[in-house]
Amino acid sequence: MRLILRLTLRLTLRSPSPLNPNDRCRRLAQRATYTCSGLLALLLSGCVSGGRLLELPFDPGGRSLNSPYSDTHPAVSGRYVVSLSDRRGSQDLLLYDLQARTLIPIPGLNQWDVLIEDASVSEDGRWILFCALREGRSRLYLYSRDAQQSRELFPNWRASFRHPSLDARGQRLAFEVNVNGQWDIAVYDRNGQPLPIPTNPRN
Amino acid sequence: MKVAVGWAFCPWRREDYATVAPRAIVLCFLLLLLVGLGSCAAGPAPRALGPLNSRFSDRQPALSGDGRYLALMTDRNTQQELALYDLQTQQFIALPGVNRRDRLIESPSLSRSARYLVFLASERGRADVQIYDRLQRRGEILTLGYPGVIRNPSISPDGRYVAFESARRGEWNIEILDRGPGAGLDGPSGAAGQTAPVPGLPTPR
Repeated sequence: MRLILRLTLRLTLRSPSPLNPNDRCRRLAQRATYTCSGLLALLLSGCVSGGRLLELPFDPGGRSLNSPYSDTHPAVSGRYVVSLSDRRGSQDLLLYDLQARTLIPIPGLNQWDVLIEDASVSEDGRWILFCALREGRSRLYLYSRDAQQSRELFPNWRASFRHPSLDARGQRLAFEVNVNGQWDIAVYDRNGQPLPIPTNPRN
Repeated sequence: MKVAVGWAFCPWRREDYATVAPRAIVLCFLLLLLVGLGSCAAGPAPRALGPLNSRFSDRQPALSGDGRYLALMTDRNTQQELALYDLQTQQFIALPGVNRRDRLIESPSLSRSARYLVFLASERGRADVQIYDRLQRRGEILTLGYPGVIRNPSISPDGRYVAFESARRGEWNIEILDRGPGAGLDGPSGAAGQTAPVPGLPTPR
């Protein structure tokens, strides 16, 4: 950025060489164009074709959405974002508030023996659905921020779970499951009841 | 004695015709078959998708905010394609112009009423986040001009924010794209999401 500023300053402020007035005028116009395009590039640095990229604070202390460690698998819902981060030495789940620009504590979610793989959050930030590995098995958990605890869904299924998805109200959930020897999609409600759809996988 | 057929200068005789005719008929039949198959492959013939799960791989489910629609990736029509399923009527919904031969789609995500469909599309050697507006039947690239590799996009139910993973800083980080309050939102934030606070329990911020 400093380089761009210095270049634009030099281009605009350098004394004009002894040329005829026509050439001088043309060169001045050229410099004005360069300056304008430089300033425009500076202004648009946070923009892409679809909108504006949020300037999220990049905190080495680990109190923001991004850290110097790997931050992956974002899922945004309303003002909340869940993501997975390596900042504490293991792959932990984080809940971030886009409006307050802070991390929200989720006590009881990240357990030392649970490796979280993917997650989804409801729009009010109260429910978090996540797939995890524990004791060598793939599991699906639903975390309630009100109760501050996770409940394992379908503990009797001998299957792997992937790609959890929760609707905005946190009442309906969809996930990938390999109960039939291939990847199928299951749609259940929060209480573990299957939706009456043909070919909905059951145990 | 051999009898000449047709004009005098025609070198073929009746016996020649007898041997050539069956071969010609078979050849014509094969040609017609090829032409028929070719036109089938080239035309955008609508194909039935059947029930939600097929005997092929069905992956990456994404519920809409209202829980009625489900986006998924399916391999049932030989090519990996994006499909949209209505859980209420139990039917697939057509997505004209989304699945094309020249690009690979992954990681779908839906807004509240499934108006917006966000996915990662790889074409011409670059993966970009694209949004498809079902109301206007129009697709748009959201990350044109973004310097970096992109993965796993996700749209918020109101359609305002799109989160994705980026390798711009040499490691995976998260970027949040704000489409702005005037971007034709899909229902206000929290319209269907808020429930009455339960007394005695910590209220979510």
